[in-house]
Amino acid sequence: MANLTLKNVYKRYENSKSTKTKNDYAVKDLSFECVDGEFLGILGPSGCGKTTTLRMIAGLEEITQGEIYIDDTRINDLHPKDRHIGLAFEDYALYPPLSVYGNIAFNLRAKKVSEKEIKKEIMRIAPLMKVDDILDSKPAALSGGQKQRVNIARAIVRKPKLLLLDEPLSHLDGKMRQTLRVEIKRLHKEIQCATVIVTHDQLEAMSLADKILIMKDAELQQFGTPLEVYDDPVNEFVAGFIGEPPMNLMTVKITRSEGEFFFEFPGSEVRVSVPKRYYSVIKDGIRVKLGVRPMDVLIGNENSKANSAKIAVFENLGDERRINIRVGNEYLNLITFEEVRYKPGDYIKLEFNAEKTHLFDIGTGNRINAI
Amino acid sequence: MNTKRLAVLAAAGRNLILTIWAIFALFPILWMVLCTFKLDREMYSTTFFFHPTLDNYVNVLVRTNYFKAFFDNIIVSGGAVILSVLVGVPAAYGFARYNFKSKEFWAGQILGFKFAPEILVVLPLFMIYQKLHLIDTYLGLIWVYQLITMPFLIWVVRGYFEDISLEVEQAAQLDGYSWYQVFLKILLPLVKPGLVAAALLTFIFAWNSFMFPLILSGFSVQTVTVSSLKYLASDTVHYGQMAVAATITVLPEVIMALAIQKHLVRGLSFGAVKG
Amino acid sequence: MARIELCNITKRFKKITAINDIKLEVKDKEFLVLFGPAGAGKTTILKTIAGLEYPDQGQIKFDGEVINHIEPTHRNVSMVFENYALYPHINVYDNIASPLRSPLYKKDEEYIKKKVNAIATVMKIDNLMERLPSQLSNGQRQRVALGRCLVREPKVFLMDEPLAHLDAKLRHLMRAELKEMQSQFNTTTIYVTHDYMEALSLGDRIAIVIQGRFEQIGTGDDIFYRPANELVAKLMGEPEINIFQTELVSDNGNFMLKMLCQERLFALPDDVAKILSAKKVNKFDLGIRGNDIKFYFEKPDASFLTGTIYTIEPIGNKSILTVDVNGQFLRMVAPSDLRAEMDSTIYIKLNLEHALFFNCDDQKFVTRHVSNII
Repeated sequence: MANLTLKNVYKRYENSKSTKTKNDYAVKDLSFECVDGEFLGILGPSGCGKTTTLRMIAGLEEITQGEIYIDDTRINDLHPKDRHIGLAFEDYALYPPLSVYGNIAFNLRAKKVSEKEIKKEIMRIAPLMKVDDILDSKPAALSGGQKQRVNIARAIVRKPKLLLLDEPLSHLDGKMRQTLRVEIKRLHKEIQCATVIVTHDQLEAMSLADKILIMKDAELQQFGTPLEVYDDPVNEFVAGFIGEPPMNLMTVKITRSEGEFFFEFPGSEVRVSVPKRYYSVIKDGIRVKLGVRPMDVLIGNENSKANSAKIAVFENLGDERRINIRVGNEYLNLITFEEVRYKPGDYIKLEFNAEKTHLFDIGTGNRINAI
Repeated sequence: MNTKRLAVLAAAGRNLILTIWAIFALFPILWMVLCTFKLDREMYSTTFFFHPTLDNYVNVLVRTNYFKAFFDNIIVSGGAVILSVLVGVPAAYGFARYNFKSKEFWAGQILGFKFAPEILVVLPLFMIYQKLHLIDTYLGLIWVYQLITMPFLIWVVRGYFEDISLEVEQAAQLDGYSWYQVFLKILLPLVKPGLVAAALLTFIFAWNSFMFPLILSGFSVQTVTVSSLKYLASDTVHYGQMAVAATITVLPEVIMALAIQKHLVRGLSFGAVKG
Repeated sequence: MARIELCNITKRFKKITAINDIKLEVKDKEFLVLFGPAGAGKTTILKTIAGLEYPDQGQIKFDGEVINHIEPTHRNVSMVFENYALYPHINVYDNIASPLRSPLYKKDEEYIKKKVNAIATVMKIDNLMERLPSQLSNGQRQRVALGRCLVREPKVFLMDEPLAHLDAKLRHLMRAELKEMQSQFNTTTIYVTHDYMEALSLGDRIAIVIQGRFEQIGTGDDIFYRPANELVAKLMGEPEINIFQTELVSDNGNFMLKMLCQERLFALPDDVAKILSAKKVNKFDLGIRGNDIKFYFEKPDASFLTGTIYTIEPIGNKSILTVDVNGQFLRMVAPSDLRAEMDSTIYIKLNLEHALFFNCDDQKFVTRHVSNII
């Protein structure tokens, strides 16, 4: 039970062979806090520094600069085994000759905990991770999902102050991944231990974590609750990375006609009203990056001043219907749960959900805030 | 500072060990070349300091028919490899792609020919060859060399064929290529590295062969390995001349090995074909 | 362009029967999707049509002509293989150009260049032309394979999971691109997938393959709204359809539904009540999709049932909410930005107008309410 704090942490790899890579920071000026009982997700594409961060917390990687605290203890120089951290890697790394029981007990036995105590602990943890009926099996006989369960059970059995999970679900197939995701969530609710999960799968982070830290190229992009990063992405990268199907992100030109502003999509006839709240920050003729999620593109009123858009693709997917409008080389994607039917070539008017329409600066990619 | 000095020392140590090893490994060749310049009378009494002479070269290259043997060797070894490629590649394809009864048994059997001691088969072969009038002919040697070249070639090339997914072949058929065109345009280029490496290695095996040419030929067709016997006179052994013959004999092998070194390593490491 | 018929085709591998006496007619220019779980025999059906597998029994006909004996090369079909089957030794451009350079379908290089470049642009691989297949990611390889298939105009396109290895974002995009191209194909297409969205989106008709047999062949609407049995219903849709047993009871002459261990009875649409009551049994399996369950966190009126939230999982543009109602778990669709505490109370209502009814014993479809859309 503890708080984890990172203060201005840097990680730089010394690369003796090349003089060019002076700036090859794996992690750059990273500060954040994970309070007791919180589930924190570190999310980013491969090579963004998320695993390095985790390894620094675990003590498997030296810290170039900055400080890491668990509660008030500075742990920079502590040996990994003295940090009281439970760690589960993506590849299960179970000891093949030992049974599941032996695997979970391994670390406790190393610490000379009495057999009676070990048994008590394992019997407490096993039902939580649903491994109680396979305690006598050898790892070779287990499925991927079971191995990962044992792996996590092994990490939590020593009652760590902090639980670290490194891509725990990436080796599992779709259904299993969903099941285990739910179980990890329920486990966390049960043990209430501060947990950090590293993942490249935004769905995993969105569904598990209380707070998400998004990294790209060694730098922090945004730190917030899943809802914050989903609804108020700070830049184009976060907007495009979070959400499935992805947000429509396209360059548009602002035009003014009869006192109203419109988005004009280059390479197409499509024209859609600009939400009023942006009127104070835009000008006629400028270009911006527009970001709007498919669910927030709406089928508009017939009488609106927007131009009609020609449907390129209409997909009826049973539960939902998707409409794609050709805009240059790209599609503007619309998803609706309404029972509507269209054919390619039909025209519809479009409207954007005003509250959930985002504008980004073309140069910096940063969000343009409405006043 | 300290670590840097250690690294330099370690590198120097490594190089020293490698140099010693290289001298050790290359010594037989060095020794052989030295011998070519010694007169027979200096052969036992000197090591590195002697009166160099070209007499041995003159003796071997001018006064005997060494070149005839050299070219005979090229003909029989080259011919054997060409025949092996023509017959072995389709066989390897068959072993890789088709399922037939006792497939693995027959594949093992073919490889087994390579391991059988030549001395065991050479006497019966001699009787058969005599009846067929194949003794002392090019064809006879090329044929018997298949025992040396074919099994290895089939084994290597089969591995390459197995690495090509069946779907690649099927895709090419659906693209409108007939089976022979698929074989020439898709399969052969993909097995080429293995085929080249195997062919060159088997060429060397054939080149060095001694037992078969010794028993099954020797007069009108003579290989360099057998012709070396001529330097064993009744009273003395002409080591200098023998060394000259051997030096020239290994030249093609050394040149080839150096030229295709990269190819050889890559070609013989299986699974080099990836899709 | 061809009409394709499979007449009583059976194919066995040693003792395993991969396809079992199937009949199928694919109309000229139709886009038919073969949909089913892994190992159902979908790929074997494709390969049989291509001539890469020989059926043990039955006939394959193109435009009424039996072609069992014709070599794959001469069947004039074009195929995307699931493992791509690219030629490893030639670059992307040459891979895509390969069908147009073969003796059978030879075109001049100028035409090839135009055609290959056009296809590559659609597949978004135009910047990879010089690369060898080994230098590509799986998603890129798959698009090259798709490009090589589409570059030519054969009698039939056979596509084996052509989008399976793309990441989620690209998969949705390529599906839409395929769908848009579809109108220009003018070619019969048979498409194998295990993704229900691809099946519903692309297929003029869908054939559901399970264990080497067709469970149902029909349009997307047929299969989604009137599945032949519970198995088919479960294959379509995310989250999986909720199926549980209900009892038909007579309440003063009105037929009502008793379910989920509730005291009160539920009214059925008239047409459904009529058909169900005419059956000899009074127990039916009820299937209801996640979309057809409404929920609130405060009880709007007495018609709502009480449950507790078991889990909530975002799966993209929506979340799946699993609710425990008296021991029966119900999966329903919630907006992706919904945040709810586990184990908290929730009030739900089932829209029985969209419910499907199945026989309890053989799980076959019985009836559903007919509305103006369906």
